[in-house]
Amino acid sequence: MSLKYSGYMGKVMAVDLTTETVSEYPWSDTERELYIGGKIMAARILADHLTGKETAFSEDNWVVISTGPLTGTGAPSSARFNISALSPQTGILASSNCGGSFGLYLKKAGYDALILKGQCRKKRWLEINEEQFIFHDADELWGTKTGECQEKLIELIGKKNFGKLCIGPAGENLVKYASIVSDERSAGRTGLGAVLGWKNLKAITVSGTKMVPVHDKEQTAQWIKKWVSYLQSHPLTGKQLPKLGTAGLVSSMQMHGLLSTRNASAGHFEDFEKVSGETLAEEYNITNKGCATCPIRCARTVKVYDKTVKGPELETLVLLGGNIGNCNLQKILDWNYELDELGMDTISAAGTIAWAMEANEKGLWHNGLSFGSIDTLSSIFDDIAHRRGIGDELAEGTKRLSEKYGGKEFAMHSKGLELSAYEPRRAVGQGLGYAVSNRGGCHLNGGYLVILEGLGLNVDSQTPKAKADFTMLFQDLMEMISASGQCLFTSYAFFPAFLLNKPNGMLVKIVNFAATHVGWAVRLINKFPRICALHLPMFHHTKMFTLAIGMKMDFGHYIEIGERGYNLERMINNRFGITAENDKLPKRLTNVPQDPKHPETKVPLETMKKTYYQARGWDKNGIPKEKTLRRLKIK
Amino acid sequence: MITVKLFGLLRIESGIKELHLEADTMKQLCDNLCLQSERISKKDLDKCIILINGNKGNKRSKLQDGDTVIFMSPVAGG
Repeated sequence: MSLKYSGYMGKVMAVDLTTETVSEYPWSDTERELYIGGKIMAARILADHLTGKETAFSEDNWVVISTGPLTGTGAPSSARFNISALSPQTGILASSNCGGSFGLYLKKAGYDALILKGQCRKKRWLEINEEQFIFHDADELWGTKTGECQEKLIELIGKKNFGKLCIGPAGENLVKYASIVSDERSAGRTGLGAVLGWKNLKAITVSGTKMVPVHDKEQTAQWIKKWVSYLQSHPLTGKQLPKLGTAGLVSSMQMHGLLSTRNASAGHFEDFEKVSGETLAEEYNITNKGCATCPIRCARTVKVYDKTVKGPELETLVLLGGNIGNCNLQKILDWNYELDELGMDTISAAGTIAWAMEANEKGLWHNGLSFGSIDTLSSIFDDIAHRRGIGDELAEGTKRLSEKYGGKEFAMHSKGLELSAYEPRRAVGQGLGYAVSNRGGCHLNGGYLVILEGLGLNVDSQTPKAKADFTMLFQDLMEMISASGQCLFTSYAFFPAFLLNKPNGMLVKIVNFAATHVGWAVRLINKFPRICALHLPMFHHTKMFTLAIGMKMDFGHYIEIGERGYNLERMINNRFGITAENDKLPKRLTNVPQDPKHPETKVPLETMKKTYYQARGWDKNGIPKEKTLRRLKIK
Repeated sequence: MITVKLFGLLRIESGIKELHLEADTMKQLCDNLCLQSERISKKDLDKCIILINGNKGNKRSKLQDGDTVIFMSPVAGG
């Protein structure tokens, strides 16, 4: 088979878990052009399959594990793979991205993506190589935690250099926010571990030695060298993230009133310094670490129970720190490790606990939990993973618990997915992003506008002006970066270094002021992306496509594909009943000012939503218009 | 006496969390701070966001005894 484009292995395999048979799923060059890979490719496959009647725990819930064309080409931070399916947590489209080595090895085995259909009739794990798909009994693996499971897989395969992913006890027991783990990295959000658990599939291994084809090897190598050098010289990707990791944001969030505290009832935590990135670096961090091919190396390694393990990300530090009234950093390191081992999303687990603490203190649900009381949390996490005692209820997540016990107004979720660590009343664009995000309360899928609103630049964080337009632009940009197989952090170098190196300078002040007055220009780019038919000097991604994949690409084309992906996902969600009514936030964030002396410190969601829908070409109900879908060649 | 707190890379690279210095203006404070460690330069301080008693400040701000000044290097990415 001859492929028009490099970067692809040319095969998408459909695995029927029920019959244990494998067939090739048709995927053409035209589809590669339109949907690239990763989450957009998955959205197309699922849009062609899902009708709106399926549920997460059903044989019709296909799981798509897909790579991007840049995975395996040596592009910076390109060892990512995506998993999409219906989420048991939200009931709509889930997508979760992971930096483990599974994606790289899937391509070495000769495959761009896997589609898992049906349900194994007994507990199984799946071994994939270049020639075969072999199902094995998983009795020996069932019940193991993710670390032990992966160790056993190494013994069973008989070598170390292969890709693997697995679920822990939480996935086996259908915890709604169970994760999938590959090496030390997690596809954490949206509960896809429970989908594999329901399918009786404990793990997948994949090995191979094939090389990913590269279009122009010499020029690609030169471009990668230049790009890596740029990333390593940039203040964010070259200094802050390697030295402090995402944890470095804690202090800045505190200064800006963004640090979600006591179930997002406040944006400042009085003991933030004890659980900050600086304290982590000074007292606990051993070194930094990265996913394969990553020059940024943002991960932390720390000591837990005498083992050297991956340390917590910002989200975990905040949500298991101030958001539950805890200032014991060692405990956060322990829980982070325990949750990874149990195979559970730290964000949703922590968010659910915070809600339960407030519900108990308000007398809605007598569960024994309260802010700052942390002694029993390790055993509670274990109870959640095994669905014992109140753990069985906590395993259902914030949305379902608040529907049962009351307290919806402080249930910090959107579409059923618990919110990340940024308290959005001091970054209203981030609030819009949480509300409209395709996968629910996710900071990244929401557009990550907080990077303009305090964490990076200092654009007016309370005004709704221009926020909808920037949200759309950033969402589409990140959608495409993800689909190409790269880490979203490569986009942070998009901000020229001078903006970060002179935060008090006149030029930055002008940029901060001007940003809220250029919504019209951003909207113009969003509406007519092809006017940006160029390679931007600080955005190396587009030229990488041209050189490594041999696909014609420029900035406008790039964001247009991202827009296609975002609308495809929305279209699927619409089939499952998502409308404007579901693009919402809890009342605490929209109706109650964070600071009573400043009534503007709340999220003016409806105003921004209206502009956002217009920018997106959606109707008032949040449904993409026919002409939008046609323009994007979705229909 | 002014309480000075450092955050972000400035703190990690200088090894200084907090110190107390005499100063009437931000300019004096910055000059004094640079004398405390070879690892802190005026260029480093220029890159920092400055908060005086929790409010945004700048190099021209005046200080009063008992003020707390925070220097934070810019951060992003979560």
